[in-house]
Amino acid sequence: MNSVYSSWSSIFIAHIKRDILTNSRSLIDLISIVGFMILIIILFPLGLGPIQEKLNIVSNAVIWVGLILAIMPSLEKLLQKDFENGWLDQIATSPIPLEIIMLSKGISYWLIMLIPLIITSPIFAIFLDMDLKNIPWLVISISSGSLAISLIGLSGSALILGARRGNILLPILIIPLMTPILIFGVGVNEAIKINASPYGNLFLLLALTLVYLVISPFISALLVRIAIGR
Amino acid sequence: MLYLKDLTIQRGNKIVFSNFNAVIRSGSTTLIKGKNGSGKSTLLRAIAGFTPLEGGVIKQNKNDIFKNNEEWVKNLIFLDTKNGLSKDLTVAENLNAWLTIKGWSSNKEVIKMALKSVSMEKYADLYISQCSEGLKKRAALSRLYLSFSNNVDFWILDEPTNELDTSSLVLFKKLVFKFLKQNGTIILASHDPTIIEKKV
Repeated sequence: MNSVYSSWSSIFIAHIKRDILTNSRSLIDLISIVGFMILIIILFPLGLGPIQEKLNIVSNAVIWVGLILAIMPSLEKLLQKDFENGWLDQIATSPIPLEIIMLSKGISYWLIMLIPLIITSPIFAIFLDMDLKNIPWLVISISSGSLAISLIGLSGSALILGARRGNILLPILIIPLMTPILIFGVGVNEAIKINASPYGNLFLLLALTLVYLVISPFISALLVRIAIGR
Repeated sequence: MLYLKDLTIQRGNKIVFSNFNAVIRSGSTTLIKGKNGSGKSTLLRAIAGFTPLEGGVIKQNKNDIFKNNEEWVKNLIFLDTKNGLSKDLTVAENLNAWLTIKGWSSNKEVIKMALKSVSMEKYADLYISQCSEGLKKRAALSRLYLSFSNNVDFWILDEPTNELDTSSLVLFKKLVFKFLKQNGTIILASHDPTIIEKKV
């Protein structure tokens, strides 16, 4: 018998490709995220009234809060489908650590669901009357912060596997964990508005993202093991 | 050899097994029979290393399978009633994804041969969402063929023949006897006692 085992990195990349392929076949989650975001961007100025300055003050926060709320329904399904169809059992029989596969899940979710929001965020910013000089910083802060949001969402999704009413539990459990990301993410652009340096907030945001890159795969793998062991 | 020693398994507040002992020889088929809800699947999931033990130990030769999980899972194929197939992928794409997470080399020829072993080659490009339950089961069973080139020693199968028609059952049995000839070990749960009869 002759066996050829692939390296961890090739399995990691292959699993990201598998998730991208799976999600590309059913775009409803992505459409709902972008659609929800567009609704927030349209409704918020209507609710705020006709004074343009008000919109400029809150535009940055609206995009960040909109992003966090828009992805909630899709986070619930991040691992649920694979749990229900038995794919998580098959992953557990892979020779590479479950933590590596969980990291690939977090990154593939970010690539599929959040990159489109990052790309469209300048358009949302223009609709919300954000100063043009702030837009590159918005893109930079969302790019780094959204990866942390994906990884927190991954752990949350693992926590509610097999739980009844998980869709209600999930936002309550993970939004508090996303609060520091929101504060430092919004802080980057608020610093620019008052002509201060944005780097302090940006570095803290990147540091948090790195922390979640390290801890989230371990927490998620532990929770998945508990779920498939039930 | 696989040793199940003093196993105690709990699900929720219910103890499913208490001080369960068994020895499973290499190159044998072990059929687990029992009523619905008697814990057949739980036992299989424990042997696969998924369900933690409240007490006891499972050893492959001298190695505790929970402590040497990485080595243990390399040697086994686990299939249960959920099949582990994504409905958004085709039969061939599912098999390819499974091959890659097992760390085994994958190419069109390997996938074609595996699907041919369960007479699924003409359904390779069919989405799982379009497959009947029987076709889904055959797509899942095609993984067994890949044991022969990838040093697999154990098959752990939960109700593998559910939804299979007579001709598919014959193909499944051919795979079983080929695996046994190579000294493979099969542990399966089924309500069908004829599953391990040697008539093919």
